[in-house]
Amino acid sequence: MAAAVPALPSSCPGISGISYAFPACSRSVRDLAREGKLATSAETLESFGFGNVYVGTSESPYELALAAVSGLLAEQRIDPATVGLLIYGGTPGCMAFSPANEAEKGAAGFCRTDRFKYPAARLQYDLGLSGASVFAVDQLACTTLLGATRIARSLCITEGIDRAICVASEFFPMHAGREAIFNCTSDASCAVLIERQGTRNRLVAASTVTKGYYWDADSMRDEIVASYFPTSRFVVQRTIEQAGWSAADVDWIMPHNVSVRSWQILSRLLGLPNARLWSANVARHGHTLAGDNFINYRDALDAGAIEAGQRVLLFSYGFGAHWTGVAVEA
Amino acid sequence: MPTHETVFVTGATGLVGGGVLKRMLGGDPQLRAYVLVRDELRWRAASRRLGSLADRVVPVQGDLTARRLGIEYWTRHRLAREVTMIVHAAADTSFSRPLAQARLSNAEGTREMLSLARHCGGLRRFAHVSTAFVAGRQVGMIRERDNGNAEGWVNSYERSKYDAEALVRDSGVDWVIFRPSTIVCTGVEGSIPQINAVHRALRVYHRGLAAMMPGARSDLLDVVTADYVNDSIARVTVNPSAARKTLHLCAGRGALPLGELVDGAYELWARDPIWRNRGIEKAVLTDLETYTLFANSVIETGDARLGAVLSCLSHFIPQLALSKQFDTTVADKLNGCTAPPVRSYWSAMLTQLLNGNWGVAPEEAA
Repeated sequence: MAAAVPALPSSCPGISGISYAFPACSRSVRDLAREGKLATSAETLESFGFGNVYVGTSESPYELALAAVSGLLAEQRIDPATVGLLIYGGTPGCMAFSPANEAEKGAAGFCRTDRFKYPAARLQYDLGLSGASVFAVDQLACTTLLGATRIARSLCITEGIDRAICVASEFFPMHAGREAIFNCTSDASCAVLIERQGTRNRLVAASTVTKGYYWDADSMRDEIVASYFPTSRFVVQRTIEQAGWSAADVDWIMPHNVSVRSWQILSRLLGLPNARLWSANVARHGHTLAGDNFINYRDALDAGAIEAGQRVLLFSYGFGAHWTGVAVEA
Repeated sequence: MPTHETVFVTGATGLVGGGVLKRMLGGDPQLRAYVLVRDELRWRAASRRLGSLADRVVPVQGDLTARRLGIEYWTRHRLAREVTMIVHAAADTSFSRPLAQARLSNAEGTREMLSLARHCGGLRRFAHVSTAFVAGRQVGMIRERDNGNAEGWVNSYERSKYDAEALVRDSGVDWVIFRPSTIVCTGVEGSIPQINAVHRALRVYHRGLAAMMPGARSDLLDVVTADYVNDSIARVTVNPSAARKTLHLCAGRGALPLGELVDGAYELWARDPIWRNRGIEKAVLTDLETYTLFANSVIETGDARLGAVLSCLSHFIPQLALSKQFDTTVADKLNGCTAPPVRSYWSAMLTQLLNGNWGVAPEEAA
């Protein structure tokens, strides 16, 4: 079942910066339960580790993406014109320009020529990324930013692109529920700067498994819950193998912020004896579709938790169904 | 005293009782039989399977859970006068019954049978069909002489059968106790006479509704064929050397490691291109604590369908993590043979399950 291990490129691109943006408004799990936006009881979700989530009201996904990439450029003091690649993922097309309270209006644009109003192109223009080829990735759900990073890594290696930005921005319409299979979800955007010659946070390997059988998440919910654990284990093991690591080499897991309980179970199945899990953000802002792994990575770096040279595993599952692991050497 | 043998069989409409009765009648043309019958319709169906052998069988209306087995006075008197052997194979085999209910059938029913046995002046043998899983939560090598259990049991069935064995040992009659492990098919050709917990569990894994399985790859799952169990009981019951002996009717050294069982199942299922295309990942073998954490979490969420799946597995699956090997020395000696190795029929049994649509109607199997 395991794929052949490819030879590692002599120089792996690295993550030079991460920036993220949340909406201004937040709600507790109990607030959401009172508002009827949860399928599972607040008590159960709290026992699974959830506390608060960020809820977009007046902000559009595009505005969040703009804030995340602007922050990234400013923090890293990057000349926008030197960015050779921009990959956008998340809320698609014209819907990205509508705030949560007008999401239906934005969605209606798909039936008109508004469908060609793309947030990816507008980001390039608004931020002066004039040298960037622009792509968008779609239909990867919570693995979007990992998928975009995987593509950017490959293009840096194969096409010699020096600098790439990947950004994902996702939100839930105002009247939508906030739970996805026992997980409380925030609106957010996250941007990642990848540099071909980056010396820190080298993207050593990436691995994805897609199982189209589970494409209909509503009707296959129980099958997805059951398949989640064995497939996650398989993808993590394959990512580690492709990185040329052993299970004992992994120092950190940067998780997607699904329930702490599910990570307790998965951690036991993974058998990574030295790996620590960065799980503090599950209670602070719950799960995001935009890029939990990188938000956690940024916070762990800021907290001084990750030391240079440590081996970090990023792993996420997304509806579709996709399982993605990325191996990073800090 | 009668000049011929007369056997009184309980559970004659079931897989073991019916199979043993057929073999005993077939093996001794002079043998006559009484069978305890609670459900007349079920007995009619079972007697048809006996063919002409049924001519030597007299059904006795009764109920294991009733006082004096619910057998009418004069019939009971006749049984006491004529019966020379008893094969007590009836049991409530549900794993999920409340303990009191399981005990009513399995322990109190046995007490009533022993009471009848003590009134049978010509009784030579009381054959009690128990289960290997009276060993409950014990792990490691389980000897046939072992009958103490300090570890507890996985379900009420195991516990109530343990209680029944104790009654048999203390009864003063000439007893032999048979402890089969889980019967999964008729013979090495793999045909499945009735769907049980093992088959239901396999179906859950086939449908991709179970994430993990407690146990290590090297842990053993002991299953047997009905043919082996029924042949053994029919043969050993009439063997004078079997007095006060307990026999493990188990695969024993022929049991298959869990890892091999799981691999075999998934490899066979993957031969079907439709199933293979689903990409259902092989269930992870893990420790009981992890499995329990997962199961409890699902229950906490209140998810009805997954909860039902786990409930279906809960009375049986924990036994997988309690690895045990059943010693079969006494059984092998009295039988003159060992049980067929599980490896010799596991694939055939799996194939029969698939071909038989898991023993359910097509609309249920979807």
